[in-house]
Amino acid sequence: MSLPAHLSLILDLSPVPWTALSHSTPPLSLRAFLAQALVFLNAHLALRNENSVSVFGALPGRSVGLYPPPGRGHGHGRRQAGGEEEGSGGGDENTFHVFGQADEGLMSRVEEEVAGLEEVEEDTPPALVGALTKSLCYINRLSNPPPPLNPTNAAPAPPHARIVLFSVSQDASMAYIPFMNCIFSAQKLKVPIDVCKLDDSEVIFLHQASHLTGGAFVHIDQREALLQYLSMCFLSETETRKTLAVPTQDKVDFRAACFCHKEIVDIGYVCSVCLSIFCTPVAQCSTCHTKFSPDTLLRFGGSATNGHSNGTTA
Amino acid sequence: MPPRRDAEFIVSDGSEPEDDDLDEDYVASRAARARKGKGKGKELAGDSRKAQDQSYAWEASYKRSWDTVQEDEAGSLQAAVQDLVARSKRRRLLGGDAPIRRTIIRHMMLLMDLSTAMLDRDMRPSRFDLTLSYAREFVGEWFDQNPLGQMGVVGMRNGVGERIGEMSGNPQEVLKCFADKTKLEPAGEPSLQNSIEMARASMSHLPTHSSREILILFGSLTTVDPGNIHDTVDACLRDQIRISIVSLSAEMKICRDMCERTGGVFGVALNEGHYKDLLFELVPPPAEKSSASHLAAKAAANESELMQMGFPTRLPSTAPPSLCVCHSRLRSEGYICPRCNSKVCDVPTDCDICGLMIVSSPHLARSYHHLFPAPAYKAIVELDGSEAPTCHGCSQPFPTAARDRNLVPEEGMSPFGRYRCPKCKHDFDAECDMFVHDVLHVCPGCG
Amino acid sequence: MSGAHTLPNQLPPIHSFLTTRPQTTLSRLYARPSACLAVFRLLDDVARQIVMSLLWLDSKTGVDLTSWVAPNETARKHYTAAVQGLVRLHIAKDGNGRILVLPAFQAGLRRALTGGGDHRSFGVPFPIARGKDAMTTEQLDDYALERWESILHFMVTSGSAVGRVAPPSNAVIFLLRRSGLMVPIGVEKSPESRITSQGFQFLLEDSHTQLWDLLLQYLAMSENEGRDLVEVIGFLFMLGSMRLGQEYSTENLSDTQNVMLQDFLDYGLIYRRYPDDGTRFYPTRLATTLTSTSSLSFTSSKHEKAASEGFIILETNYRLYAYTENPLQVAVLNLFVTLHSRFENLVVGRVTRESIKGALANGITADQIISYLTVHAHPMMHKNSPVLPVTVQDQIRLWELENNRLKSDNGYLYEDFNSQGDFDLVLSYAKQLDVVLWENREKRKMFVREDGHENVREFIRRRAEA
Repeated sequence: MSLPAHLSLILDLSPVPWTALSHSTPPLSLRAFLAQALVFLNAHLALRNENSVSVFGALPGRSVGLYPPPGRGHGHGRRQAGGEEEGSGGGDENTFHVFGQADEGLMSRVEEEVAGLEEVEEDTPPALVGALTKSLCYINRLSNPPPPLNPTNAAPAPPHARIVLFSVSQDASMAYIPFMNCIFSAQKLKVPIDVCKLDDSEVIFLHQASHLTGGAFVHIDQREALLQYLSMCFLSETETRKTLAVPTQDKVDFRAACFCHKEIVDIGYVCSVCLSIFCTPVAQCSTCHTKFSPDTLLRFGGSATNGHSNGTTA
Repeated sequence: MPPRRDAEFIVSDGSEPEDDDLDEDYVASRAARARKGKGKGKELAGDSRKAQDQSYAWEASYKRSWDTVQEDEAGSLQAAVQDLVARSKRRRLLGGDAPIRRTIIRHMMLLMDLSTAMLDRDMRPSRFDLTLSYAREFVGEWFDQNPLGQMGVVGMRNGVGERIGEMSGNPQEVLKCFADKTKLEPAGEPSLQNSIEMARASMSHLPTHSSREILILFGSLTTVDPGNIHDTVDACLRDQIRISIVSLSAEMKICRDMCERTGGVFGVALNEGHYKDLLFELVPPPAEKSSASHLAAKAAANESELMQMGFPTRLPSTAPPSLCVCHSRLRSEGYICPRCNSKVCDVPTDCDICGLMIVSSPHLARSYHHLFPAPAYKAIVELDGSEAPTCHGCSQPFPTAARDRNLVPEEGMSPFGRYRCPKCKHDFDAECDMFVHDVLHVCPGCG
Repeated sequence: MSGAHTLPNQLPPIHSFLTTRPQTTLSRLYARPSACLAVFRLLDDVARQIVMSLLWLDSKTGVDLTSWVAPNETARKHYTAAVQGLVRLHIAKDGNGRILVLPAFQAGLRRALTGGGDHRSFGVPFPIARGKDAMTTEQLDDYALERWESILHFMVTSGSAVGRVAPPSNAVIFLLRRSGLMVPIGVEKSPESRITSQGFQFLLEDSHTQLWDLLLQYLAMSENEGRDLVEVIGFLFMLGSMRLGQEYSTENLSDTQNVMLQDFLDYGLIYRRYPDDGTRFYPTRLATTLTSTSSLSFTSSKHEKAASEGFIILETNYRLYAYTENPLQVAVLNLFVTLHSRFENLVVGRVTRESIKGALANGITADQIISYLTVHAHPMMHKNSPVLPVTVQDQIRLWELENNRLKSDNGYLYEDFNSQGDFDLVLSYAKQLDVVLWENREKRKMFVREDGHENVREFIRRRAEA
């Protein structure tokens, strides 16, 4: 049948929004979410024997690979799902052995990581970019497996890969450029980024990510039906989506973050040499050190005199 | 010309990775650029000496490669060959990580030789067919990397320049020029002067902050010109037009002169693959010339402008249809100008109502990795026992023992396959190192 | 066994077998989560997504999914076909466009995905064997391959090479005969058998298809013997969900299933570390990949990669080089190649008119030969496009066409017409019906197709009466 598929989950594990979510109505605790995410992973593994998964977490200030456990790397990455790894225990007669492997580790790993967080860290935005880059590295690794020891063995076809990103916090405009770089890399690898938005904060860049990579964007209104959303919108593979469509977002906001104050702007001032974006007119580009001609500044200065003074100090 | 490109796999003296046999043309053009900057005489001498020394460098490195290739225990050369490939890949990565100024808004006229010389079948299926198909690929890739650029097409046949496609920022329109092969049937003699003049004329009105480039795909060994072609080159120099030529037959003095004087690149294609390589080297935006020179920086300052741009909101195909301001057509999709809220069909464009330049921010963002490249990783040559057991990017375990003791550390290869980010101090394996610097442009540890 | 080459999107044969079972059987089958999972995997992509979309809904009336279907003709067709497939398998019900996953299947699949429960349908693992007691996957692969190839080898040599390869058990031979792959020589009871043309076609299929072909026969046979089909299929699916390299206990198996275990031992699906200890067994890769859709890939050490990799190089001059020392592969090649010389790891031969004719006479088709050569082409050959030289492909097809120069049709010859007028009248009538195959006005003869005979005869009779 069709090619095996790889599903990479990226979980936003910032404690503050999760605490808020578990007290909102309807409540959704991290634990309940993980339980549903696991069933979702199982459903993906159930689709095909060769399917595989990986899970990455974005914690405040750092990112971690949650599954597969480090060290049980790639040569087997795909095989794991095929159930060719030697198992750790005798197994459970009531669970499909492939599922059991993923279930075991993930829950405890997440709790471990969240518990290990320190108070101070909690306000820093989650390292989504870190998790995304790791996920892309992993996917890149799957599509370019290390050369087999035995050269006569042809490399198996690389799997179709997909990223599903669960977001609970708003955009980190600090990381605008790295985040966009991730999107372009995903485009190049032909990896769609699906975004599942669990809370109500604004995420312009995630909008752009799913739009540019051709992924789905779903804002979960009824959190109690999360699993239903997951299996209806995020489970289908690229091929299947040609028949059964997945929801995309209504509007894509193409705003960007300026380089000087990291603010999200809809009208910006752009350096003609390096295309750096500034929220106010500046006399000199801070990136490429180009000095702009005074006429230009005057032209914009008429409309924003205070902007001009701001710009020179920036 | 000796196959310098093909010698890339072969390791020469690794101590000066930039100055080896990679590309004489590059060295030469750099020399040419240096020549223009006053007070650079010393460097010029150094560069041209190197250029001379390196002419037959591939021969020397060929000999050396004999020694560097080592069989593994099983007597197989595979590991050694992979090693060489990895090394040559890495060498491409080495290079400054300081932000260089690059021209990002580019304008290019593509001059295609449509003379009878293009019917030659020394390249398969013929020079003409190959050029057409490469040109198509080139246009796609060029617009991918230069989303704000514009390109026009001029053909050279029967002694005149023929305008095939107007300057346009839409890749589809440019590709349309190559769609009908019968209209481009090669005939007669080419004229470099006529065609360059035509290209020059169509670029004369362009704003000063953008680059102007002419790329000539030249198959002929002759040109029929009505006047002195050197005057044309002078005019191009005045207009700051950069001329690059890819020749399919052989080197011509006038072609090389033209490129060197205007700061372009000249190359002669050895075979089909090399032709493509030469062509695609012209895809990434060129580094701003003479950026180091204070004088030029001042001159550049006068040309540079701050532009006001708006980032629109895109309406989906399910939105209620409304009239667009550009064609007055009723349709659902479109982009909303952030200043006046009018709807336009496509970006980038200037808003027809308020005149704001509307671009999609991802278009701009595509070029940012040139400005903020990921820091070059350092190869780890010695372990102190405290290293992470797995790659920070892909979680693949590192080999515990050094693979090849014969590796010289200067070559930028780690015997342990570990490369460390100078900023976040995390270790990455070779594959991730390549991926991070070639595609991702973000360090997974720092991000 | 319609064709040797299974298209990538073709559903596995068990799928169609299941669709012909009554609803009660299937409902009982779906009580086992492992069976639900296995059946789910047999579905095509779109059908799987439909099931998944509806799995967690508790609607009693079903949901109309048509608004999710992409607005184009192919998508609609796909969707309708998928829904029909689901209905045939009694997984879902289609009530005027509202699709409802039936409770039996829904509960089963939910249980499979969430784990837990007390159904024990994924096999009861035997406490882990320690040290050298445990079987490695390589050992299991070696064993499975050896068993399987001995069956195939027995077929291809029609049992004549008994000395070199141990003959399969009588049960296997019985099954082979039952499925029409072999026929007995002489007495019914004797183990001597001859391969049939169906058998030749069978040999050229990939092992996954072969296995299912046999297992379907096995299912039909079990049904005839009055075994409970749910038990049999359920056990197959249980095997398919087991983990390779894990030993399982027989404690939870029914009597039927214990009998099956014995049979599967012969096919190489099951391995027993201690033949006398009936309480535990290892599934082999043949078993664990039953419900996967890809072809088998053994990690076996002994049977070199050639088993899964290509080994055949075919040149435009009809010469064929096969890098193999596997007697089965050589034997299969021998079906349609004139082999010239044999070396340590290489067999050299030539595709000739005689060799192909011989194969065709055995009932093998040109397409099967070409697809076999393509599937097993050496990696070097894959640089060519198409993989096989066109001249050779065409020639093989032409040789097949030679056989088809004569076409036979059943019909009736009309002759001895009284007058030319009669003849013309009947002829024109028959021509109107478009049933004339041949005519000769001089001799007043014509040949009418069988289906037209009735009408023409009636016409003549009416004429005679009038």
